[in-house]
Amino acid sequence: MTANGQTGKTFRLLLVLLLTVMAVGLGYAVLELHSSAGGLSKQVATNLEASGVSNPVTAVLLNFRGYDTLLEMAVLLVALIGVWSLGGIPDYRESSPGPVLDTLSRLLVPMLILVAGYLLWVGTHAPGGAFQAGSVLGAAGVLLLLSGWRLEKIFAGLPLRVILILGLGAFVTAGGGFLLIGNVFMEYPSALAGELILMVEAAATLSIGVTLAALFLGGRPEAGLDK
Amino acid sequence: MIGDIVAIPWVVVLIVLPLMGGMACFLFPTISKSLGLMTALAIFTAVGGLSWQLVEEGAQRYAIGGWGASLGIDLYADGLSLLMLVMAALVGLGVSVYSSGYFSRDKANHFWPLWLFLWGALNALFLSADLFNLYVTLELLGLAAVALVALAGGRGALTSAMRYLLVSLLGSLFYLLGVVLLYHSFGSLDIAILAQRVEPSPAVWAAVGLMSVGLLLKTALFPMHFWLPAAHASAPAPVSALLSALVVKASFYILLRLWLEVFPQTNTAFSQLLGLLGAAAVLWGGLMALRQTRLKMLIAYSTVAQLGYLFLAFPLATSCAWTGMLYLLFSHALAKAAMFMAAGNILRYGGHDRIADLDQVAQRLPLTLAAFSLAGVSIMGLPPSGGFVAKWLLLEASMNSGQWWWAIVLILGGLLAAAYVFRVIGYAFTQAELPHEAGVVPARMEWTALVLAFVAILLGFISPAAFELMGIGAPFGVGCAG
Repeated sequence: MTANGQTGKTFRLLLVLLLTVMAVGLGYAVLELHSSAGGLSKQVATNLEASGVSNPVTAVLLNFRGYDTLLEMAVLLVALIGVWSLGGIPDYRESSPGPVLDTLSRLLVPMLILVAGYLLWVGTHAPGGAFQAGSVLGAAGVLLLLSGWRLEKIFAGLPLRVILILGLGAFVTAGGGFLLIGNVFMEYPSALAGELILMVEAAATLSIGVTLAALFLGGRPEAGLDK
Repeated sequence: MIGDIVAIPWVVVLIVLPLMGGMACFLFPTISKSLGLMTALAIFTAVGGLSWQLVEEGAQRYAIGGWGASLGIDLYADGLSLLMLVMAALVGLGVSVYSSGYFSRDKANHFWPLWLFLWGALNALFLSADLFNLYVTLELLGLAAVALVALAGGRGALTSAMRYLLVSLLGSLFYLLGVVLLYHSFGSLDIAILAQRVEPSPAVWAAVGLMSVGLLLKTALFPMHFWLPAAHASAPAPVSALLSALVVKASFYILLRLWLEVFPQTNTAFSQLLGLLGAAAVLWGGLMALRQTRLKMLIAYSTVAQLGYLFLAFPLATSCAWTGMLYLLFSHALAKAAMFMAAGNILRYGGHDRIADLDQVAQRLPLTLAAFSLAGVSIMGLPPSGGFVAKWLLLEASMNSGQWWWAIVLILGGLLAAAYVFRVIGYAFTQAELPHEAGVVPARMEWTALVLAFVAILLGFISPAAFELMGIGAPFGVGCAG
């Protein structure tokens, strides 16, 4: 055995040892956990009325801890800008799919868009919401891209970018707008909270869906006027 | 009028401004340079507004959405946050001006939105009082930083960006696991509330370990620094500057907050270990810096060494030690940004950064060499720089606490720093052997490096005022006399 292989083996052994120690330590800590301190679900339930929605998950994501979600929209956008900055504009010609994919996508895409809309709407009082709806919308986009559909160049510049920032933009506008009339940042008046949350969620759904589809494509679509 | 300025919620402005700037730059790439510079100036002004507010009214707590912790998320600004925000604003403005001359048009389109989002993440991180919110800001920060490293293009940059991404994710996940354990045990994510509720248990120990390892990995404390030199050296010069000056300090800031507020009872053996690792980092980083043949690698290893100093304060744990350590962090940010910018100028001018071939940079780029030397003065810790004041406080703290061995590390580290800085300056003055084609370095790139280095020196003169500002809200006990 070469010296290199020897060190590799020792290194791997050390790694296994280290991971075992860690796993044992963590296992012990988890076994020793007392029952949960209760979390914040009681507080969420008490304040649910004022949040504007009746689904506690949506209330936490969009109102109580809406600031986290705002930053997460920024994370998504940064991920896309990062991918685009790597360059490598993909082969961007339209192609025609086989008959199966063609029929399937014609059937599925309208359905997916409908489901996305439903998930968005239902999020106010039952499981659902912007991220779920956005993922379904993203799936529709991926299916379209797989079946050879391409965004026209005329829409690939500013219009596409506007949709991509729509979610973050809506969050910042809704949060900051009330700042100007004397409220705290992201404090929605409870009479308007339901409608505001739905609007922000709708914008976020669009952005999430388009961002996911654009991430699937990989590179920045070439913008410019169609000839 | 004055009342109006104090009444503006500057903490929110500081977070929203860079996000809006980033979105604007993304929407209108053709004018992203002017949009970016305008945003940078606005953020700089807003930091001024926040300092005024803190001086007038003391530490600020701001409940986002009006819910208040634990249900909602609070922002918190005291002297410690202010120090970090001022550091980010100074370096950020410098990097913005420098970058407006550095990047080609195509790269600039990507640089500006990424950089402004990174700045937003930094501001949000320095202001957050919520452990999970800190995780989100860490993710935003990490992704933007990785994308900026990859902006350099080429095999080396992409490889080190990929490694940086994996390390960064691993660190974040370690941190998140710790947050989950704390939330399960104590039912809150707010730092101030946790500080009251935390009591030792195996879960807390696991959380301390996990969060510390995750954050140390991101801060690149020896021996977890393996990813740093390659990532910092292969990035474009302004990106190297902000990675070394700001990004590694962000995870360090979270660790410090946890250490000062949530985990104060865990400070015996573990803090000695941190001090030891810090000492090893100072010596190892210094020795490795001496051995480098490329200027940017030398500066990156110098960052490894300088980060080590920050951990010497943990075993000392006096108010003086914390103050000195934070002042070191501050002056290092300015000096290191200036150094990387100077290296960028040399690279642009000569087309390479081989230390042995830095012939007569002194005559051709006098401003850049002056910037490098002034920054070097602060890195070495010579008077009258900010680095000197900081090291002096650390020396005093180690003598007063009877732990004199940390003082030896401080002195040895300074000597090593002197050796590698003078090595570069020496080569810069040697006679040219091969004439080579020279690139054009825009004046603003030279001046920015010089101004930042000059501010690092200036810190030595304004330290009493700076300590006063840092003490707002007493983040580390009652102020240090001196």
